[in-house]
Amino acid sequence: MRYGYFPGCSLLSSAVEYDRSARAVLGAVGVELEEIDDWVCCGATAAHATSPLLSAALPAISCAAAEKQGLDVLTCCAACYSRLKSVNREVKDDPKLQKQISEIIEEPYEGNVRVLHITEVLGREIGTEAIKAAVQKPLEGLKVACYYGCLMARMPEALCVDKAEYPVLMDDLIRAVGGEPVDWPYKTECCGAALTLARQKTVIRLSGEVVQIAKANGADILAVACPLCQANLDMYQANAEKLLGEQLGVPVLYFTQLMGLAMGLPTEELCLDKVIVDPMPLLSEKGFISGGVYL
Amino acid sequence: MRWELADKALHSDFRRRVEELSGQNLGECYQCGKCTGGCPVLADIELSPNRVIRMIQLGLEEDVLTNESIWCCTACGTCNGRCPMGVDIVRILDTVRLLSQRSKYRPGALEVLTFYQAFLNCIRHFGRLNEIGLMGSYNINSGRLLTNMVKAPWFFMKGKISLSPHKIRRIERLERVFARIEEIEGK
Repeated sequence: MRYGYFPGCSLLSSAVEYDRSARAVLGAVGVELEEIDDWVCCGATAAHATSPLLSAALPAISCAAAEKQGLDVLTCCAACYSRLKSVNREVKDDPKLQKQISEIIEEPYEGNVRVLHITEVLGREIGTEAIKAAVQKPLEGLKVACYYGCLMARMPEALCVDKAEYPVLMDDLIRAVGGEPVDWPYKTECCGAALTLARQKTVIRLSGEVVQIAKANGADILAVACPLCQANLDMYQANAEKLLGEQLGVPVLYFTQLMGLAMGLPTEELCLDKVIVDPMPLLSEKGFISGGVYL
Repeated sequence: MRWELADKALHSDFRRRVEELSGQNLGECYQCGKCTGGCPVLADIELSPNRVIRMIQLGLEEDVLTNESIWCCTACGTCNGRCPMGVDIVRILDTVRLLSQRSKYRPGALEVLTFYQAFLNCIRHFGRLNEIGLMGSYNINSGRLLTNMVKAPWFFMKGKISLSPHKIRRIERLERVFARIEEIEGK
């Protein structure tokens, strides 16, 4: 299977471990990626909070490029996914907007490119049976809180990735690689998202609560599928500990890093050292990494 | 909090402009409050989502456009997901943020707007976001020079910061896209 890959800006820098582990996992189950030619940032919250036209035009540029390549779009970032997919609905619902956007971006775009999140590709197009077959070291006894955040499942009429308030797609993938997903109520609570620099207090409170509730429900580790969720839950965890007056220490990994670990993929592709709350003590205690030495 | 419903407000075309730009019918909201019940930033804001809608219905333009609450929305979409009438509340908030920038009033939370502008400037110049460039430019423009600087060396050491910005090939076309939109949206 071959997809048009839209990495998104975060996966080139702060979420480089998501990019590398996702490519490795997809490769291991036979998915080929072809980068979308000259893709442009989706505009994220900055665009749609300030300019509705820009928030449609930016994703339309990349979607039109994918259409030319004749490929479905695969993206790992929940924000990119939400923006790319929303623009399809917006231009389809509104012929006037469709015409305007096509004029603005200097090429026709009618909203017909299929946009898929990596969890959809792995869980639905590849399927959990094929994933089970690729597992070498099942994550037995690892209790994982799968955190979806807002953008993967919300606004169901546009996205439909899963149930809006209790998605299970990532849980199924973690179960397929032998992990034990915990049942917890904060799967789709907001982490504070793009307020990360401008409103840090809000972000620390919100992301702290997510980690706290995951831990209270017995999770050893959090699995995420969004670079901003990862950054907020991981980077601000020390601040959240101070705010809550509680020791947290819950590592936050991308679900692809965990899947790659179970598939026995090369550790340099999984970049487990690139997160702030060190997962090594937990992973070596559970016997998934020998000796706990990882450089 | 009290608002005076002056004649001017009642006859303002604020509600009509919001409805037109957002494509939403504000008459569909019957103030059930489910949007507010699920709003994650409720603890930090003065105007809850249902209140913002009520104020738009009443034509309270200045009170809405100058309030910082409208800039605290994370666009998580919980309100949209729970609205029994299917009102696109995020879209309404996007619209009032746009109107707030266009209006003669001063937006209520400049630091959030500054962040978004720094973000979009970066996209305009490179086509892709350079996170370290964004942090630097935000800190300079907002006057909060030390925001997250404690964490910067760590990112650098872990190879999570790419120092050479990724620039797209068709940057001239992107500049035209930005310029056209600025012209249409009248900023």
